[in-house]
Amino acid sequence: MTKVRSGLDRRDFLQTSALGAFAAVTGIVAAPAVLRAQGASVKLGVLHPVSGALSYSGQQGRLGATIAIEEINAAGGIKALGGAKFEPMLGDAQSTPDGGNAEVEKMNAAGVSSIIGGYASSICLAASQTAARYDLPYLVDVGVADSIVTRGLKNTFRFGPGFGVIAKTALDNLVTINDQAGKPAKSVMIVHEDSLFGSGLAKLLNAQLPGRGFEVLETIAHPTPTRDFNNVVLKIKARDPDLVIPADYYNEYVLLARTMQQQRVRPKGIYSVLGGAASSYKFVKEFPEAAQYIMDCNHWFDPRNAKALALKKKVEDKGQFYTYEVFMNYSCVLLLADAIERAASADRAKIIAALESSTFAGHLMPYGPTKFVNGQNQGAAPVNTQVLGNDIQVIFPATFASAKPVFPMPRA
Amino acid sequence: MTARLLLPLLLVVVALALVPAVVTSNVALNFMVTVLLIALVGQGWNVLGGYGGQYSFGHSAFFGTGAYVTAILQVRYGVNAWLGFALGIATGALVGAAIGAVSFRSGLRGSYFALVTLAFAEVLRILASVTPITGAGVGTLIKLDLRPEALQFQSRVPFYWIILALVAISLIVARVIEASRFGAWLVAVRENESAARALGVNATLMKVSAMTISAAITAAAGCFYAQYFLFVDSGIAFGPWISVEALLAPIIGGIGTVFGPLLGALVVKMLGELAKLVAGDAPGLDLVIYGCVLILVVAFAPRGVGGVFHEFYNFVSRAWTPAPTPMRRRDG
Repeated sequence: MTKVRSGLDRRDFLQTSALGAFAAVTGIVAAPAVLRAQGASVKLGVLHPVSGALSYSGQQGRLGATIAIEEINAAGGIKALGGAKFEPMLGDAQSTPDGGNAEVEKMNAAGVSSIIGGYASSICLAASQTAARYDLPYLVDVGVADSIVTRGLKNTFRFGPGFGVIAKTALDNLVTINDQAGKPAKSVMIVHEDSLFGSGLAKLLNAQLPGRGFEVLETIAHPTPTRDFNNVVLKIKARDPDLVIPADYYNEYVLLARTMQQQRVRPKGIYSVLGGAASSYKFVKEFPEAAQYIMDCNHWFDPRNAKALALKKKVEDKGQFYTYEVFMNYSCVLLLADAIERAASADRAKIIAALESSTFAGHLMPYGPTKFVNGQNQGAAPVNTQVLGNDIQVIFPATFASAKPVFPMPRA
Repeated sequence: MTARLLLPLLLVVVALALVPAVVTSNVALNFMVTVLLIALVGQGWNVLGGYGGQYSFGHSAFFGTGAYVTAILQVRYGVNAWLGFALGIATGALVGAAIGAVSFRSGLRGSYFALVTLAFAEVLRILASVTPITGAGVGTLIKLDLRPEALQFQSRVPFYWIILALVAISLIVARVIEASRFGAWLVAVRENESAARALGVNATLMKVSAMTISAAITAAAGCFYAQYFLFVDSGIAFGPWISVEALLAPIIGGIGTVFGPLLGALVVKMLGELAKLVAGDAPGLDLVIYGCVLILVVAFAPRGVGGVFHEFYNFVSRAWTPAPTPMRRRDG
């Protein structure tokens, strides 16, 4: 007997209707029109990897951005727009570039005026590129890959420094610190995570350290996450370098430093570049012995800035740590608010123009007034910090220094 | 191959092709592109794992090969993106054939084969993270060039149609395998390799062929990823995430079925989005909800969502079919 099939059987119907059901449930078809119809507020996309491997940094970044938004709103909002309040749209990049991309699509559909954040270079690259399709201003908070601002994207701005500047500053300062101490360090081992951040940095260090009088004994790459550094530390112990230079995210950095402490590996110095934990109050509080005397070249607030110290107190009163993600994102929101204020509009093109001509000096960083050239803030530079006692002190440059460097590390 | 076998495929593809006409939001289109991308990777895995019974944990090896080849050819050698895309698929197929030949000729089966594929993917990930041609850990960035000649588009719609076309081809490939003698031999190898060999089936050739087709489909997904996101690094290309997605979609949707990977990808991604809506801005809560629901689906629907539909269909069919009238005995 031949069974006569209709054009659409039940299974096909269920499969295709699931699409329609999804669209109806989530409201994504009609969402943009509804959201745009809401009143006088300026929508701001706040994008961070708040889940996944980079969740701690992402959550800290979100904290800094939301505190700034709350403060701006409490102080009367954007005055040039009749006191319009910032309406944050929080996005989770889930520590992946495609996660960041999907969030930018949502933010664009919701009609945000601009986006800040991204944190990791790979997320910033993908998210800013998607934002560029819609001429949506994108202010990078931390992502340091040089390629973020060398792609010719008109919408992308970076408030902080890139790899090139950071590596040069770190190396210049390392040479100066070493020279001032009578050149005790001659050999180096580099330990880095193997993504965009760590590998890029390791490449630069390998290229430049030999020319500055340091022999690179070995470069060890590891993935993120890595949960055991025993073998890495055994290698360090065997090669016995004068300096260890880690380039890791927070968790791996802490683990490496603790393993070095456990195996009693004490080089003359641990000098990090953008050390995930080396400039972290969380690390200093939780593992004070492992953190002691570690030097870092990193994003850091201006210790003479009263606003920066007030924010530190506020964050600590909330029971949180004052990490660089907090004050970088806080500063980025202030910078963006200033641009919108001067543009007197939430129009994307006008915000981009206002950012291009920005001379904002009300941020927390020791950068001076902002000046963007091809999207890169020219004054942005890292500073050197060192864990001394139970605090993090700025040791370089002298203009901002709150303590003198202790190098080589005293042997226990 | 009859029209009757292809009709359901045609209907589903036509229905999906009409999505951009109904849904104009780029958010929804981006979502659907992601679903179809995972469906394509899942179909790649399904050809080898579902029909061939060879469970791979390292399909990222083929995904990454496709992604890197298309990106590197464009960025370093100035090859046209369309040609780079085709060469990416071909290279992926070659890598699949090579890994398949090495593994199956060595007689690796079951968990040993799974571990070897995982090892190949990890080796490729480490190589990509240190080799200068891949950009090492920095990765490879394809320049934004929104022209159709560069396989880049301002709108999401052309991307949607390209990935839909690839999924349509993969569905036809799966259907052809099901209906062909090759498919029958492959299933015979899956069910009982020794018996299949005894009946004269060249099991190694069948498995290597399935792996080559599987790798080509998965590499196509990698090529598309590179072209869509314009950035590839070792973690994205060869990381375990895509291997997990590749096997999750067919397992959830229905392993060894034509529509299983597509259905699974749709369910998995919809679940993820709905979990985000429920969780709001609480970081990570959506992933917890997503994980819990996934466990429930796997626990209570071992044949996948497709299997649930099938059982429901059978149940309704039985309920609608009138009970047979008992024959009356004629006396006299």
